[in-house]
Amino acid sequence: MPVEVILPKVDMDMSHGKLATWHVAEGETVAKGAPLFDIETDKAAMEVESPASGRLLSVTAQPGDMVAVGTVVALIYAEGETVAETPIQTTAAPEPEAPVAKTVEPVPTATAHPAAIPQADPAVAPGLRATPAARAAARASGITLEEVPGTGPRGRIQRDDVAAFLAHRVEAPALASPGAGAWSAQPGPLHVSSRKGTGVPLVLIHGFTADSQSWAPLEKALGADRPLIRIDLPGHGRSPRRRLGSFAELARMVVEALDDVTRGHDKVDLLGHSLGGALALAAADIRARRIRSLALIAPAGLGPEIDAQALTGITRATRAESLAPWLRRLTATPDGISDDYARAAMRLRADPALRAFQAELAEILFPDGVQPFDLRPALSRLEIPTAILWGRSDHILPWRQALSITGDFALHLLADAGHVPQLECPDRVARILVRHLLM
Amino acid sequence: MTSDAPATDNRPFAIRTYAPAQLREALRRMYLIRRFEEGAEDSYMRGLIHGTMHLSIGQEASAMATCMELTDADKITSTHRGHGHCIAKGADVGRMFAEFFGKETGYCHGRGGSMHIADVRTGNLGANGIVGGGLPIAVGAALTAKRLGRDDVTVCFFGDGANNEGAFHEALNMASVWKLPVIFVCENNGYGMSTAVTRSTAVRHIADRASAYSMPGITVDGNDFSAVAEAVHAAIVRARAGDGPSLVENVTYRWRGHSKSDRNRYRTKEEIEEWMTRDPIARFRSELIAHGILDEAAADAVAAEAMAEVEAGIAFAKSSPAPAIGDVTRYVYAEN
Amino acid sequence: MNAMTETGLRVLSYSEAIREAMAIAMENDPTVILMGEDIGVYGGAFQVTLDLVDRFGPDRVMDTPISELGGAGVAVGAALTGLKPIYEFQFSDFAMLAMEQIVNQAAKLRYMLGGEASVPVVFRLPAGSGTGAAAQHSQSIEAWFGHVPGLKVLQPATPEDAKGMLLSALADPDPVMIFEHKLLYKMKGHVPEGSYLTPIGKALVRRSGTDLTIVAGSIMVHRALEAAERLAAEGISAEVIDLRSIRPIDAETILASVRKTGRLMVVYEGVKAFGVGAEISAMVAESDAFDHLDAPILRLGAADAPVPYNPDLERAAVPQVETIEAAARRLARREV
Ligand SMILES: Cc1ncc(C[n+]2csc(CCOP(=O)(O)OP(=O)(O)O)c2C)c(N)n1
Ligand SMILES: [Mg+2]
Repeated sequence: MPVEVILPKVDMDMSHGKLATWHVAEGETVAKGAPLFDIETDKAAMEVESPASGRLLSVTAQPGDMVAVGTVVALIYAEGETVAETPIQTTAAPEPEAPVAKTVEPVPTATAHPAAIPQADPAVAPGLRATPAARAAARASGITLEEVPGTGPRGRIQRDDVAAFLAHRVEAPALASPGAGAWSAQPGPLHVSSRKGTGVPLVLIHGFTADSQSWAPLEKALGADRPLIRIDLPGHGRSPRRRLGSFAELARMVVEALDDVTRGHDKVDLLGHSLGGALALAAADIRARRIRSLALIAPAGLGPEIDAQALTGITRATRAESLAPWLRRLTATPDGISDDYARAAMRLRADPALRAFQAELAEILFPDGVQPFDLRPALSRLEIPTAILWGRSDHILPWRQALSITGDFALHLLADAGHVPQLECPDRVARILVRHLLM
Repeated sequence: MTSDAPATDNRPFAIRTYAPAQLREALRRMYLIRRFEEGAEDSYMRGLIHGTMHLSIGQEASAMATCMELTDADKITSTHRGHGHCIAKGADVGRMFAEFFGKETGYCHGRGGSMHIADVRTGNLGANGIVGGGLPIAVGAALTAKRLGRDDVTVCFFGDGANNEGAFHEALNMASVWKLPVIFVCENNGYGMSTAVTRSTAVRHIADRASAYSMPGITVDGNDFSAVAEAVHAAIVRARAGDGPSLVENVTYRWRGHSKSDRNRYRTKEEIEEWMTRDPIARFRSELIAHGILDEAAADAVAAEAMAEVEAGIAFAKSSPAPAIGDVTRYVYAEN
Repeated sequence: MNAMTETGLRVLSYSEAIREAMAIAMENDPTVILMGEDIGVYGGAFQVTLDLVDRFGPDRVMDTPISELGGAGVAVGAALTGLKPIYEFQFSDFAMLAMEQIVNQAAKLRYMLGGEASVPVVFRLPAGSGTGAAAQHSQSIEAWFGHVPGLKVLQPATPEDAKGMLLSALADPDPVMIFEHKLLYKMKGHVPEGSYLTPIGKALVRRSGTDLTIVAGSIMVHRALEAAERLAAEGISAEVIDLRSIRPIDAETILASVRKTGRLMVVYEGVKAFGVGAEISAMVAESDAFDHLDAPILRLGAADAPVPYNPDLERAAVPQVETIEAAARRLARREV
């Protein structure tokens, strides 16, 4: 019997997932536990391991397909196992003694085309799964369950799915697109730069509106021997402005870049700041086996609050004078940012297309000024050593968000530091990192 | 065994019947039983053993003399007080300790503990947590021997307390009706837990029950190795000859409490101390010395051997692996 | 024996509470007698009757021979004709030897005689695992008796209930079996003075909650309560129902809770298959509460194996706080 490959539920309230990529092509062999495919939900992206060793066949979902949780997306046949033409009984001849029906139906023979025979394949006809309570609630409110997305195990509709559905019906879909983007999409991989050295490479992911160059002070403080790999986020630094619609898509791009840069390395250390912290965390969740340790500086994704005003302020500013006050919010003490610094920063943001892209990205990632993506479950799942560094005077993301995490991690609270401790006090950050990375 | 002794020989039965090497081995196993149980008691107190246990210290002659002529093909069924039977029948004390310690190398792979120790290879069908549980089983084992035309016998150990279970009466009756090769050996230590035989049992001797089932019944001093051996010998001869079952009652005494939780409120210190002067091992040892089978030094060496074996057994048990938690449902059914 | 809590409430252990109930009953009613193995001077295998023989004499606190079928049957016959016997099985496992008298006689006499006869016998049965006594001394067989019309089957979880249920059982005109958990005997709790009756067939909500219902009996109530406490720290609100009585079963309390929480888990120490959990699950599925279920029903029972000796295996074989907690969490988080 071949082993079924199903689209698993990887998130608490997930009913469907997008099959993002296959790591193994149909007909190829795969080892049990090896990466088989990636899935994306509206919240998370994840790598799925092969449930068995053997040859991948009968692939039914292609990259980009939305698939219901629990659907069989392929089969894995063991070495030497004969691949059944069709898993259904083709010899279902009527019982000889059975009363003969008036109208003689064509009897399928062994040579009949498989597709001609109706089959009870759960993947094709999953049937509606709903709890008795959900059914009762639907009956009571006069809706049909077919309209309700199920978020329980294997897409089962639960009582609160019905409640959520009813609540949504009255809510008007509001969000309109924010002002026409004055930018055009660019294809291509994210820009990656690296510095040679010996030992395990440290991969750096910068935050929103920053870029790889912002790591320079910290790099200096870390010393010259450690190999570094820096990723520029789309529309930041030298990366193309790729079109994207959600945090999950952004995370996927980062994982792709990470896959490229980590090829040939056994493991890497991963460091991210702010939005880059959230992305590092998402990437570590998906590629846990390739990450030796994780360090996050003021990471996003650990709670809904964020100073969105500052973000939009930065993306909107067209000159140093309007940029400076927002930049000063980033640090613990306003005098950390001089007018010269603000002018230099503004020069890097001179391209209106970059600003338009980033403004739109802010709207996508932080609609209505909240962080809709929640990476706390990912953090509590992590088993690799994790350190979080956070400035006690961070005005953008409150460090107390770290306290709502249930996983195990080290939390370093930095006195007199704001949202960008790697710029404010690179030596102290480096000292902590070096200790963390030596573990 | 050499039973062609001259008729005038009035030495004890065991001395005239068994070869010196056999007698020496019997003494060694009696020491082994004693040291084993002392070791178990000590391990229990150190918290190495879970649950409870029933010690037979003081009853070693009954176990050993009864098993004297049994081969591995002969079967025994044992009781909750079964360590002595197990060792007398030839079990390895290392695997017994391992069982006590709940280890995978134990006789029951850690599933049974003290109360279920069995060694099927040496014909020990197992101790039993149910008083009287072994009686019908022994009759069944004897039925097998008879149906398959084998000349093995089954010895069924049970306590005085068990003689009041229905199973006892049903088993004796069937064994007698079908003339099965089974020897019912009652170890009458005076009490079923706290209840004296006189308060629980209508007859004076358990052996008196035999007449109700038309089989021979004999009461012997259970602390006299030779007396037990002689009575059991006669029963075995009868069984192997196809003449059916017998009942042998070994009157003895347990020095320790019933189990590990006994306040000893039902018997006096004097009674216990008096019985301790009738130590079956010391008695057998001096008998062997008196008849020139061993000298003091050789007897000491036998005791030392037993001690060393017990120490090695405990070490083996301690270092043995525990069963895997995931295997909790293993052995419920046959594996294929 | 009369410890007071800080609140001034009198505190007794579970076994003290049972003993007090027996003493009150014997004082108030000369037809009440106690029967069982070693319940006299020994005080009972678990020291529950302890000194009652000194207070009421051996004619009313009767040591029986090791004869469960006969002993239980004598109690049935005495109950049928005017006495009120409380028969103690030394371990609930030994009730199997008396199955005939319990199931064929005691349970059915009233019915077979068209209501003309009454058998007000009480059976006390120490039950459960956790003592290292292995497969024949650790079972939880209460559900077996749940299958027998004519019996009442109780499982007190607290000292207060242990006393009140025993007094109710004595006041009841039909046979009642009370399964007492061995690990609870030492548990202390408030016990009211004097005579009071705990209603038979009435479950008790020991902790109220909104996210899921945990129905448990005996020691599992305490494990479920502890699990519920831990879950509360995560914001999961579990309702814990102490079943108290298997037969009759309190459908009303259970169904009302399920209607409220929409999620049900049944925790019991007996083997999971064909147990209390099956009965309760089916009861819910057959009722209007079915429409309130927002998740499949979970049963947590013992592994499909006899109770093993090894302590780790033994622990793993039955539900523990951690297993209850994990299962309840999965249920509450919609993972099942
Ligand atoms: C059927 C049954 N009833 C009661 C018990 C509890 N119990 C264990 S040993 C014992 C006393 C047995 O007395 P006896 O048969 O004389 O053996 P001894 O302990 O004296 O060796 C009792 C009552 C039991 N294990 N099985
Ligand atoms: Mg006895």
